[in-house]
Amino acid sequence: MMDGTRMDDTIVHIDHVSKSFGDTVALREMDIKLARGEFVTFLGPSGCGKSTTLRLLGGFEKPDTGRILLSGQDVTRLPPNRRRVNMVFQDYALFPHMTVGQNVAFGLELQGMGRDAIAARVSEILGFLELTPLIDRFPEQISGGQRQRAALARALAPDPDLLLLDEPLGALDARLRAQVQVELKSIQRQTGKTFFFVTHDQNEALTMSDRIVVMNHGAIQQDGTPEDLYLRPVNRFVAEFIGETNIVEGTWLGQEGGLGRMSWQGATLTGRVPGATPAPDAEVAASVRLEDIRLSPDRPELENAVEATLASSLFKGNHRIHELRTAAGARLLAMGGQGGPLPVAEGETLWAAWPAEAMTILAD
Amino acid sequence: MTRSTRLIAAFFFWAFALYLFLPLMVMIAMSFKDSNFIGFPIRSWTAGWYAEAWRDGDFIGATGYSMVIAVVSTAISMVMGTWLAVLLTERKFWGRGIVFLFTMLPAVVPGIISAISFRIYIRILDMEPGMAAIIFGHAVHNVPFVALVVASRLRTMPKSHVEAAQDLGADPFVAFMRVTLPFLQPALIGGGIFCMLLSFDDFIRSFFLGGYDPTLPVLLFSKLRSGMSPEISAIATVVLLVTAMLGLWAERRMRRLERG
Repeated sequence: MMDGTRMDDTIVHIDHVSKSFGDTVALREMDIKLARGEFVTFLGPSGCGKSTTLRLLGGFEKPDTGRILLSGQDVTRLPPNRRRVNMVFQDYALFPHMTVGQNVAFGLELQGMGRDAIAARVSEILGFLELTPLIDRFPEQISGGQRQRAALARALAPDPDLLLLDEPLGALDARLRAQVQVELKSIQRQTGKTFFFVTHDQNEALTMSDRIVVMNHGAIQQDGTPEDLYLRPVNRFVAEFIGETNIVEGTWLGQEGGLGRMSWQGATLTGRVPGATPAPDAEVAASVRLEDIRLSPDRPELENAVEATLASSLFKGNHRIHELRTAAGARLLAMGGQGGPLPVAEGETLWAAWPAEAMTILAD
Repeated sequence: MTRSTRLIAAFFFWAFALYLFLPLMVMIAMSFKDSNFIGFPIRSWTAGWYAEAWRDGDFIGATGYSMVIAVVSTAISMVMGTWLAVLLTERKFWGRGIVFLFTMLPAVVPGIISAISFRIYIRILDMEPGMAAIIFGHAVHNVPFVALVVASRLRTMPKSHVEAAQDLGADPFVAFMRVTLPFLQPALIGGGIFCMLLSFDDFIRSFFLGGYDPTLPVLLFSKLRSGMSPEISAIATVVLLVTAMLGLWAERRMRRLERG
C-alpha cells in the first residue's frame, strides 16, 4: 500500500518475530501492531527483549523468523539507512566533530535536500526544541540535557515515520529526568509522531506513555494503558514490576458472582481475576496495592479483612508506610496519610481491610 | 626518601642525561667550528658550514628525495594501516589472529633481515632498486605503527556513532568517511608524522633498496666515509632540529588524544 491509501492507522507491524543470540532467546514469536501517533513504551528488566525489539525496528538486527512491516511495507531485510525510522541513542551518539547544527543537518543532507531547505529545517527544529542559541556549539560544549535534546532534534529532523528512543533519560540526574519526561510527552503530542520508547523504569513508563508493553524473557507479559497495567495486572510479574504492591499467596477456591475466591492463612479473600482463570485448588497469588489497604481498630464492613499487628510506621513526607504482621507471620505494607495520630500504637493489633475490586488474583 | 638517596637519584639522572645529550652537543658545537677538521679545541667559530650545506646540491637533492619517499610511503602505510585497523577491531572472523600477526610482523623483524628479504623480493619481482623499491620497503615497514595507533583510537569510539550515521541515512562507506575518519583524525595525523620520521630516518632499507640516488641518511653515510667534516655536523644538526620538533609535536598530540 502506498501513501494515502492505508487501510488503517497501523504504522508498525511486528509480525511473529523471533530472534536468538547463540543459545539465548531474545524474542519469542512477538506479534504486535503499533498505531500512528502513539507513545508506546516497552518496559522490562534488562535482557527482557525490549532493546532487541528496538534494534530490529531500527534495522540493526535481522529477525530469525517473522516480518517487520513499516507503513505497510516489508522492511525486514532493509538496512537502517533505507528505513524511515530514526533513533535517539542511549549515549546520544552525537558526532563530536560536528556542531549541533551540523549534527541535525546530517540526516537531511543524506536525503539529498537542498542547502536552503536544510538550513530552514534545521532552524525550525532547533527553534521547536529551544536549541537555537546552541547551533554552533560542539556536543562537548553543552550540558547533558541539551545533548539529549540535540539528539532528539537530529532524529526528528528527517521527519521519520517512527522514532525510537533507547533509554534516553538514563544519563540524566533525577530532577532533570522528571522535567524531560514531561517535555518528551509534550513534544510527542505536538509532532504527532509515533514514539517507541524503551526503558526499565516503570515510573518513567507510567508518566509518559499512551500504551505500555511489559516484557520479560523475550515475551510480552501485558500490553495496555498505564491505568490497565497498574490497576489490572494480568500476572504476578506485571503486578510486581509496576508500582509497589503486596503479594499474598494462597489456594484457589473458585469463582462466584464474577469474582474469584482464594483462601489465605485461614481467611477467605475475594478479588478480581483479570488474567487467566486458575485451575481448581491451584496455588495462586494476589496483589493488593499499598494505598488500597484501610486500617481500623475494629473490623470494617469490607470483603477482605485480616487481623494484624502494627509492627512499625515510617514517615515518608507526604505519606506513611505502615508495616503489619499477621498472626501467621505474613508481612503487609499499607500506605496512610501523613497527618493525624496512628490508628493504633506500634505493637497493638488492628484490622487491615480492602475491597474485592482492589485485589487482583493472578494465576501465575 | 632521605636526603642522601635523593642526591644519589639526582646524580644518576643528570649523569644519564649528560651521557645521552653530550654526543649531540659535541655535534652541534662542531657544526660551528671554523676549521676543516673535527675535534677540539675550537679556536674560532663560524656559521659558514650551514651556508655550505645550503649550497651543497647533493644535500638538497637527497633531502628532497627522502621527503618524497617519506610522503608517498606514509600515504600508502596510512591507507593500509587504517584498513587493517578497521578490519582487526570491528570484525571477528576466522584467522583474525593470523592477520594480526602478519600486520605486526614488519615492526619486529630486525631491520637488516627485512632489508635483505626486500632486496631478494624486488629481484624476484624484477623491480629496479630505486625510489619505488624504497617506498615499497618503507610502506610495508610502517604499516604496523599506523595500524596500532588507529586501532587504539578506534576502540575508544562508541559503536553508536556509526549506527547513528547509518540510522540517519548513510550507507557504510559514507558513515566511514563522514563519521569514523573524522574521529580517527588525531590518530592519523600523529601516526602519519611518526611514519614520515621513520621513513626519513631509515638507513638500512634505503641502503639495500636504493639505486644511484642516495636518500639523506645514505648520503651522510657516504660523506662520512670520505672523511669527517663540520659540514656533516651542520646537516645533521638541521635534520635533528626539524625531526625533533616534528616528533615532539606528534608525540604531544597523541598523548592529548589518549587523555581525551
